[in-house]
Amino acid sequence: MKTMKKQLIGGALGLSLALSFAAPSLALLADDHEEDSYLAIVGGDIFAGTGEVLRGATLLSKNGKIEEIGYELILPDGCETVDAHGMRVYPGLVALSATTRLTQGTFAAGVEIHDFVPHEEHSEICGDCGKSFEEIVPPALDPGEFSTEHLATDAFRTDFDDSFDPFSGYMVMALGNGITTVQQSSAAVKLKRGDISGVSLSEKTLTSQSWSGSNPAGKADLREKFRLATEYLADYRRWEEAVKSDKELKEPSKKGIDGRILDILEGRTMARFSANERADLLGIARLAQQFKFRPVIQGCVEGWTVAEELGRAGAFAIVTPRTRRDRSETTTHEGGSSIENAAILTRAGVQVAVVPANTSIDMGGISGRDLLSLPLEAGFAIRGGMDERAALESITVVPARLLGIDHRVGTLEIGKDCDALITDGDLLHYQTFVQYTVVEGKLVYDKQEEVFYSHIRPRPEAAVDPGEEVSGEVESVEVEEIVEEESDEE
Amino acid sequence: MAALTSLTLLVASTLVPGVSGTGDAYADVRPIEIHNAPVATPSLAIRCGRVLTMNAGDTILDPGMLLVENGDITYVGAPIDVPAGFESIELDEAWVTPGFIDLHSHIHAGGWGDTNDMVMPTNHEFSTRPTIVAGNPNVRRACAAGVTTIFGIPGSGTSISGFGVLLKTKTESTYEGAVLADPGGMKVAQTHNPERRAGDIGATRAGLGWLLEEVNDRAVQARDTGSFDPALANLTRIHAGELPVLIHCAGNEGVASTVRMWKGRYDTRCAVSHGSFDGWYTADYVASMGVPVNHGPRTFNFNLGMKEGRIVGTSAAYVEAGVPLFSLNTDAPVIPQEELFLQGSVSVHHGADAYTMLKALTIHPARTFGIEDRVGSLEVGKDADLVIWTGDPLDPRTRAEVVVIDGEVQYQRTHDGQWF
Amino acid sequence: MKMRNLLVGLACVLGTQAPLLAAPASPTPDLFALRVGRAETVSQGTIEHAVILIENGKIITIGQDLEIERGIRVIDRPDWVVTPGFVNCYSRAGMSSSGGSGTQPGVQASTELYPRQPIYGELLEAGVTTLGLYPPGNQIPGQAVVVSTAGDSRESMLVREGAYLKILMESNSKAKKTLRDGFEEADKHLEKVTEAREKHEKAKEKYDDELKKWKKYDDEEKAKKKEPVDPGDFVEPDPSDEAAAFLDLREGELSAMFSIRKAGDYLHLIDALGEEQISWSMRVPLRNDIDLYEVAEKLGADERQVVVEPRLTLMPWTARERNIPAELDRAGARVVFIPNGDDLGNQEKWRQHVGHLVKRGMDPQAALAAMTHEPAVLLGVDETVGSLGAGKEATMLFFDGDPFQASTNLKAVMHAGDFVEEASAQ
Repeated sequence: MKTMKKQLIGGALGLSLALSFAAPSLALLADDHEEDSYLAIVGGDIFAGTGEVLRGATLLSKNGKIEEIGYELILPDGCETVDAHGMRVYPGLVALSATTRLTQGTFAAGVEIHDFVPHEEHSEICGDCGKSFEEIVPPALDPGEFSTEHLATDAFRTDFDDSFDPFSGYMVMALGNGITTVQQSSAAVKLKRGDISGVSLSEKTLTSQSWSGSNPAGKADLREKFRLATEYLADYRRWEEAVKSDKELKEPSKKGIDGRILDILEGRTMARFSANERADLLGIARLAQQFKFRPVIQGCVEGWTVAEELGRAGAFAIVTPRTRRDRSETTTHEGGSSIENAAILTRAGVQVAVVPANTSIDMGGISGRDLLSLPLEAGFAIRGGMDERAALESITVVPARLLGIDHRVGTLEIGKDCDALITDGDLLHYQTFVQYTVVEGKLVYDKQEEVFYSHIRPRPEAAVDPGEEVSGEVESVEVEEIVEEESDEE
Repeated sequence: MAALTSLTLLVASTLVPGVSGTGDAYADVRPIEIHNAPVATPSLAIRCGRVLTMNAGDTILDPGMLLVENGDITYVGAPIDVPAGFESIELDEAWVTPGFIDLHSHIHAGGWGDTNDMVMPTNHEFSTRPTIVAGNPNVRRACAAGVTTIFGIPGSGTSISGFGVLLKTKTESTYEGAVLADPGGMKVAQTHNPERRAGDIGATRAGLGWLLEEVNDRAVQARDTGSFDPALANLTRIHAGELPVLIHCAGNEGVASTVRMWKGRYDTRCAVSHGSFDGWYTADYVASMGVPVNHGPRTFNFNLGMKEGRIVGTSAAYVEAGVPLFSLNTDAPVIPQEELFLQGSVSVHHGADAYTMLKALTIHPARTFGIEDRVGSLEVGKDADLVIWTGDPLDPRTRAEVVVIDGEVQYQRTHDGQWF
Repeated sequence: MKMRNLLVGLACVLGTQAPLLAAPASPTPDLFALRVGRAETVSQGTIEHAVILIENGKIITIGQDLEIERGIRVIDRPDWVVTPGFVNCYSRAGMSSSGGSGTQPGVQASTELYPRQPIYGELLEAGVTTLGLYPPGNQIPGQAVVVSTAGDSRESMLVREGAYLKILMESNSKAKKTLRDGFEEADKHLEKVTEAREKHEKAKEKYDDELKKWKKYDDEEKAKKKEPVDPGDFVEPDPSDEAAAFLDLREGELSAMFSIRKAGDYLHLIDALGEEQISWSMRVPLRNDIDLYEVAEKLGADERQVVVEPRLTLMPWTARERNIPAELDRAGARVVFIPNGDDLGNQEKWRQHVGHLVKRGMDPQAALAAMTHEPAVLLGVDETVGSLGAGKEATMLFFDGDPFQASTNLKAVMHAGDFVEEASAQ
């Protein structure tokens, strides 16, 4: 293992005197521990995802967590470095509803191997047979929603821990497009390459609930469940108080109370609704306000028509800005899809997460619509008026928040997981490529080292010798707010 | 038979005085080439930060100005004083490009309907004309995203599914008001769809090839002998070089057999459409034969055929091979018509050059179909089909502010709201 | 290093019990010497001009240009290359049943063994002298057995039972749980033993007390009361089949062979094993797009035995060829080859397939070991077969050249000192 040498301390102190004007952050004079592993992303423009941009700064990871972000960092001996000069550094993207093939690999076709099977050449996958890769190679089974029992037993261990394929080619493609965390059913899974430890992150789970105008009885049922659960909670709290003085009082009965609704009301899980129509959205918003919980609304196509209500309800919306839906002819209200949906919802205070229309990975040739197109999809939100910062958040920290993992991922902040991507330009620009991806302080993707994209605009040789002592660009130490210019209407 | 022929000639020459030469004998007896009667439209003066003319000299004006009168462009150049009586549109930050053109679209009927008539394997006298729903929601949205001309064609379920119509995407119009050329050209499906599984001929590529050659040979004979056969009237115009033919094909063998047959054997004004999967392997051959490629909706090949493991940007591959006229399509609604620009964006991401991809959305498709005298670039005398964008049109963050077709403002975001 | 025939005299007085011979064989004298062009001993490397002294089916000594005592019959084959007999540790030759899904770690594959099937004789002639036969089924189908292809009866074929416990390991909770459950079963048994012992001790104490009392009683009292019964010595309760197998694993009396099908499974296997210290090997079918190279370094660091076919594979999604066996060998893992298929044809071409990998960069000594010594170690029979050296069974193959050259012919097979084919011996 790489160790930090004692001599570093002296060197660091000397340097700090020389650089006092630049307010240097001194890195890591602490723990000289054998097991510590360091990685530094050096000299890039760091877009922290919090609105801050540090030009030409360095980000240091220690044992997978962000230790320091700043200038003039003293790097420990043996610290692995990634040269990001002239590049940009962003937080890893968080992809909601991602295909399970990402985490379960491409080699897991369900064949029995108890008998020796002489190797048949598996049918060549042809580029011209008109079939997509998905059609030829059957996808691994989706384990589907699983019970929360798994979560209770073993520190968020889920079925995904046991089925995670740390060498999945699809995962490498996702990493190559900036995705470092994915949602699988109700688990959040970290895309750790070559490692299966601690891949599940979720603390909260999502609980699907149904609310649809086409099922009035179902709506009534759900409302009743919320009412009963709320009453139970009130009774319980009263009892909690009363029992202090009268030990004989009986605890209120849980009979007839839906445990999942209790989980929602007590914040252990979030209620996820799949809804697009104005009336349904209004219904959900009002239900949420009445019973005081924050709904997650997937789809939310007509959300822009009732954005204020959704904002008041503290809703999360998972939207695909490009979605098309014609206005219903049977209503006099505004309706149908709007490219401005994401922007309008955000302005109304709704937490907007963006997902592409297709959350699998398209290997058949259609580009710009699948899971790998998260930044393009966020671009469509900007087209509809969302600001650049909210658009970046819609594919990083908002989905992290929704999954209850924003204390670990979604922004580049000290103490959080060091999940970062290094791009050759503006992440939201269509020409930009992810050059490197780092997950928990480990370099897991280098565009030039993988077959997929290395031939497209190959990266020139690193301009800076990685061994050379790195100094910050002192003149650009100010922290800027991302203010992207928007050419507005006349 | 002779009487019928002379009658047809009479009718044809009466209806289509502009058609001359050998074409006369094969002219469609139905009305064709309806030019829009110029209506009184306001004259426009448009001044913007950047004008991409897409002309032969690749002129880019920073800033630039256009004058539009009677539906046509009358001035392109450096900003000048706005002439009296002109409505002025001035957007300093904005970019202007010609309206985008998609040569492979099925949205003319408003959806997926009316695309495939599957009883006969070749249906060369069909037309999409009866299926057109002008100004349908898909067309309107396309217009608001800067797509101003589409070639509305039948599907690829049969070897020849008929003739398509070149339409402008006017947001409120009729067929008569929107048509640019009818027939605009023929649609052929060479491989990867027309394969017939009904037990009749055409289950194999061999059968499909024979079906096409048999009917083409008859049309060639009709052309060469000057005889008239109503069952071959439009097909004969293909072989007379009067109309282009767009050929759905994919895979290397599909693209190669397309070029071999339609260029090598019949020397038609053919264009490869799709050219998907590993079709790009044949790009050198396609280029050497001078056949245009109209690429999409797939724009990359994850190279399982060759097992190189690379994401090959196929747009770049065709362009680099020297294909003379490379254009992009959506096969809408496979990819929504309004996202035609995105085909350029993703092609650039995968290695193509941005300006070439702009050509692939404008002047290249126009030249592929021989309509470059009307559309595809911003030049004096051409139809005033233009789009004012908030920036780089290939960037999803950019939106169309104003779309003008035939000199009329079809869509203006500040007035109509943002449609896309 | 030239060796002297010091041992030859001694050899003469060694026991003369003849081994049970099988199949059509050509008897040799009790004591004879072989002089060949080259011996690939596997354990001691290559010996040019090798002399092998064999008595009663065993190798007495082997060395370069050893002098041979007068009177000992010499079989002189200066053009031949001799190797140990091939060992195929993962086969179902001659077996036909198919397995289901379940955990039966006590099952021995020998229950399916039917001797005198033509395939065994054919394999012997093809040079496969030892087979590891495994039971069919997913999860934990049972234990493999070692047979000699030269035997003609159950007794003469069966070399060893309990060669390895076959366990399917996949990346899913169920497979990992199945393994953990096995060890838990062993734990439960141990608890049961402890409980039983405690119970027995209490009973013993009680008995001792009562006996003391009893002894004090007078006859009348004795007649009234019952004499206490001695609980006897403690007898451990028998473990269940499952517990027994997993106890054997822990105690090193049984090894496990885990079948996996992708690199990721290996990490899940390590995770599922946790702290358990057992001896195990790994079987990985080399599918065309296998990603096993991802864990080659880890396997190398563990010097893990990895059972694979001699196949070139492709990097997933590419046309980039990979020689995974060679990569594993270079990383320090111990490659164990099995033929590309269980049919006779693939077993006959086995050395040619391995030869192909040698041409593509695999170390030939490692390649030969992977067909002989390594599988013998895996099966626990390396004391007798899999290499050529003093004390080993004289089971060997004779080639007219480099065994990895396609043009080379297998000239003769010797099993325990006897030539299998008469014609080639003379």
